[in-house]
Amino acid sequence: MGTPNAVGDWSSEMEVSAFRRLFPLRYYERHLSESIRPDARPLKRARDTIVSLGAVASSDGSALAKIGSTTMLAAIKMEVMTPSVDSPDEGSVAVEFHMPPICSPVVRPGRPAEVAPVTSKQLFDCLLSSGMIDLKELSLIKGKAAWMAYLDIYCLDADGALFDAALLSAVAAFSHLRIPVVSLNDEGRMVMVSKELEGEKLDKEPVDKERRKLSLKSIPFSLTCILHKNYILADPTFEEESIMETFITVVLNSSGQLVSLYKSGGPVLAHTSAIQECVALTRQRMKELEEIIDEAISTMEID
Amino acid sequence: MAGGASATAPSTYSPSPNQKKKPPLFKDGDLDWVRPDGREFHQCRPAFFRTGAVNAAAGSAYAEFGNTKVIVSVFGPRESKKAMMYSDMGRLNCNVSYTTFATAVRGQVLDQKESSSMLHKALEGAIRLETFPKTTVDVFALVLESGGSDLPVVISCASLALADAGIMLYDLVTAVSVSCLGPNLVIDPISEEESYQDGSLMITCMPSRYEVTQLTITGEWSSARINEAMQLCLDACSKLGKVMRSCLKEAASASEES
Repeated sequence: MGTPNAVGDWSSEMEVSAFRRLFPLRYYERHLSESIRPDARPLKRARDTIVSLGAVASSDGSALAKIGSTTMLAAIKMEVMTPSVDSPDEGSVAVEFHMPPICSPVVRPGRPAEVAPVTSKQLFDCLLSSGMIDLKELSLIKGKAAWMAYLDIYCLDADGALFDAALLSAVAAFSHLRIPVVSLNDEGRMVMVSKELEGEKLDKEPVDKERRKLSLKSIPFSLTCILHKNYILADPTFEEESIMETFITVVLNSSGQLVSLYKSGGPVLAHTSAIQECVALTRQRMKELEEIIDEAISTMEID
Repeated sequence: MAGGASATAPSTYSPSPNQKKKPPLFKDGDLDWVRPDGREFHQCRPAFFRTGAVNAAAGSAYAEFGNTKVIVSVFGPRESKKAMMYSDMGRLNCNVSYTTFATAVRGQVLDQKESSSMLHKALEGAIRLETFPKTTVDVFALVLESGGSDLPVVISCASLALADAGIMLYDLVTAVSVSCLGPNLVIDPISEEESYQDGSLMITCMPSRYEVTQLTITGEWSSARINEAMQLCLDACSKLGKVMRSCLKEAASASEES
């Protein structure tokens, strides 16, 4: 019988699942000292990742991304707006990240998750500052009409690394986007050129000849890591995020340039070497993610 | 709300053609009328169910009927809200929401409060609330895509999610609706058919017990047609119950093997 005041001694008498719940941090530290995580991953490995395109039929571009259990569904709907006076030849993008109550026991209806608007803003900044989308490609008629791309991302299952999964689904949805063919009608509004109306009254030429895709440049990819003591854990789960509270999210574009780096406080102060390590890990992860996206695009084109 | 698109966000419109200009789906006296998806009048869409869609939940299910796609998560039984009075019986809390891309035009507001309360009423009779006193079971549904007959799909999917969560039920709850289009009764209507319907009838029932938990009728009906529609729904409900049961069995045998 161990002495009850020494926590460490309890572990020999207790069931593993009870120890995990009562002393989660010690449970994790024991694993980390053996360079392994409870889900059998090495410290710096991300979970299996799946991307599939075209999940939402009613949208103009959509994608489902899964990192481990974390699941994101992103869909883009294109609407027409009058461009602003400052940039008459540019369209716009609006990003909204939703955490519906189905995704996690901590989200309740009527009380939206605090992280949702924060993540929306981070995603918006990331997508636009990476230069992935040329807003001029979203122009229809200079000064008169331009596209507004509404990107809505729904978290269907929240199990950590939400930003990474959301960004991946957003990027994939843009790579699946096909801009509808529209023409100007008599009332000065843009209307979709549908097959039924074809040949009926095409007095005005459509703006584009066919459904066009965006030419995406320098796609952003991200990796979130946990810093705990001297350990770095890539792609944390929800459990890991709730036990160890210092995160670094690094976003790189496909040419390897740094798009953004978030470290929002947290009890662990990062050495520059740790940040460099995180950037290096993101660089590796970027190659994996690029392959996954390319594969998703090529399987879609075969279909 | 939207990142970056601040208060100065420009107003936008969808370029999809105006709905009103479409010719009516069904004309009186048109005897050769076929349903837009080519189904027979009394034929349901193929139903697909899968349990365990959301790992973070105690139980969950995904259902797909044609273009109607829903996910339901069940949480609990867990502590009731602090403001709740003491209760010997468990509580059921339901919420239905839609994604902004669920409908053809973005963000068309659907009545989520009404769906939530209908879901609650359809399920509460089937759940053995006395098995979890003082606590609450939360049933949350998200309609990913709305393709017609959304509420019946949500209800059936929710009862499967409850079973997946191990909540004690008297029986699975299955729901089917019928639309009245001119002289015809069409079962499991799609959105387009629903928008032209003269009346609608929905039954939610427990097929093995042959008990109805909810019956809603809207529009103009003669009592003979109500009988016909009810019989159609009940038959479809019992078939749907078999599909759901086999989905649960499959999931159970898969988890035994692993």
